Amino acid sequence: MPVVDGVELPETPLLDELEKGPWPSFVKEIKKTAIEQEKAMKAGKKIKLPGAAKGLLKVLELAYKDKRTHWKHGGIVSVIGYGGGVIGRYCDLEDQIPEVWHFHTIRINMPAGWFYTTKALRTICDVWEKWGSGLTNFHGSTGDIILLGTRTEYLQPCANALAYADQLYGGVPFDIGGSGSDLRTPSACMGPALCEFACYDTLKACYEFTMRYQNELHRPMWPYKFKIKCSGCPNDCVAAKARSDFAIIGTWKDEIQIDQEAVREYAKVIDIEEHVVKKCPTKAISWDGKELKINNRECIRCMHCINVLPKALKPGKERGATILIGGKAPFVDGAIIGWVAVPFIPENELIEKCCEMLEAIWEWWDEEGKFRERVGELIWRKGMDEFLKVINQKADVRMVYAPRNNPFIFWRELNE
Amino acid sequence: MTEEINKEELKQKILEHLAKKPWQVRDLAKVLRVKKKELDKIVQELIAEGKAAYWSSGSTTYVTTKEKLEEMEKKRSGT
Ligand code: HEM
Ligand code: HEM
Ligand code: SF4
Ligand code: SF4
Repeated sequence: MPVVDGVELPETPLLDELEKGPWPSFVKEIKKTAIEQEKAMKAGKKIKLPGAAKGLLKVLELAYKDKRTHWKHGGIVSVIGYGGGVIGRYCDLEDQIPEVWHFHTIRINMPAGWFYTTKALRTICDVWEKWGSGLTNFHGSTGDIILLGTRTEYLQPCANALAYADQLYGGVPFDIGGSGSDLRTPSACMGPALCEFACYDTLKACYEFTMRYQNELHRPMWPYKFKIKCSGCPNDCVAAKARSDFAIIGTWKDEIQIDQEAVREYAKVIDIEEHVVKKCPTKAISWDGKELKINNRECIRCMHCINVLPKALKPGKERGATILIGGKAPFVDGAIIGWVAVPFIPENELIEKCCEMLEAIWEWWDEEGKFRERVGELIWRKGMDEFLKVINQKADVRMVYAPRNNPFIFWRELNE
Repeated sequence: MTEEINKEELKQKILEHLAKKPWQVRDLAKVLRVKKKELDKIVQELIAEGKAAYWSSGSTTYVTTKEKLEEMEKKRSGT
């Protein structure tokens, strides 16, 4: 057995291959955790799942050797009052590797924009070192903090330790996130906190939705999952358009702001014609060597020119967001991009309008949706015109079914 | 008064159905001929009373009874 830092690790010749190369390796991280866990135990810390990280190494090595998985799918959610947030998983090697027989995952609601204090991070790590495998994933595909691997009987105490962290030991409290047929943990790009392109306050919106819809987040009652993601501009850093049923994408109505002096500065180091003018998808830009002109009527807010010349160009002043509906990323069919539901909502009305719409959509979907039917699929089945009645919107030419297609509203008629 | 009795009867019926297999509330609502919203509420009550419980695949959630849950849990964990 290889010994590292006085800690014996299992023989894992196959896994070790995944440590080679210049990139980060989860094998390396699991080994590190195994070592840290044992050190903490020797130091007298209370640890409920001793050897969990080591056990994981053994299961994975065996899976590669046997060329089959040793995990089983599905399971319980046993945190009182919660119907989601815990993903139950078991290993079929109870006798051989009891350390990871139960290996449940807990999703923890991350702060909007993923900003932490070290104290908050320490809270999570301390709790998870005690009640779980010590292995975390910052962050999972939903945006949540993922705590990987614990036993059924530790789910509740772990959730309590996080929820009451402030009262129990002066830590920072955290709540469980969403999973199952409920509202998933809303997520947002860091928006105005770090990024000058933000056209609305993504953090505030995300926080508002999270607080307002606690019941929807924790007590699943819908046909399937529902995701809300907030991106501050069309760069869409949280990939809201392809990964959320309800995507809120920041945009502007008026003209791109231009600082001509800064453009001329850029011209000394960048070929503006080549890298900006020619790359505009709608040929909306012209440059005569002194002045950059944008025909804003033609601009489709693709962000390209702004991304290349961030010091010189900025989104306009009349800011708000576009709402896209029906996006999702299933394994088999691949990503489906959301369709425009509302072309523009001004920033100051955004949160209220979204809430009105969300509640109307949920009611309709809950009534009409079939088992495991996402809201986009329901629109597909029922037609965009019915959906527009639900959200009280008029048809608009921007509601295309797919790029370079006819407006969506005609699509159903064509089929009939 | 009559409403209370009806509710207790309904709860009993719900538990009988749940004892057979895990259900999606919407399907159970159809079978029992009650409004889904109403059933949502009653199921929440049953869960709060500890008689019913959630069971999740990770991406979909079902409702089942406490006993059934323990049984499934045992089967699932392989004992
Ligand atoms: C054929 C097998 C599997 C399929 C089809 C599958 C499918 C999925 C899907 C669809 C999700 C996303 C759920 C959602 O949020 O809606 C998910 C999440 C997850 N699954 Fe599985 N899964 C499989 C096996 C496993 C196994 C064996 C484990 C662990 C032992 C596991 C652990 C997880 C975890 C930790 C997440 C959350 C990841 C995150 O949020 O980033 N899955 N899985
Ligand atoms: C050879 C083995 C593995 C491969 C090739 C692999 C590959 C991947 C890939 C490609 C993703 C998607 C990343 C992304 O684009 O966001 C992913 C996500 C993930 N993996 Fe693995 N993985 C492996 C082993 C593991 C193990 C052993 C665990 C847990 C102990 C794990 C847990 C997860 C989780 C929780 C996610 C979701 C994180 C996210 O979406 O950001 N993976 N994995
Ligand atoms: S989506 Fe836009 S506003 Fe948000 S971080 Fe990315 S570039 Fe900035
Ligand atoms: S944002 Fe895109 S479409 Fe608009 S002017 Fe710039 S490059 Fe052209």
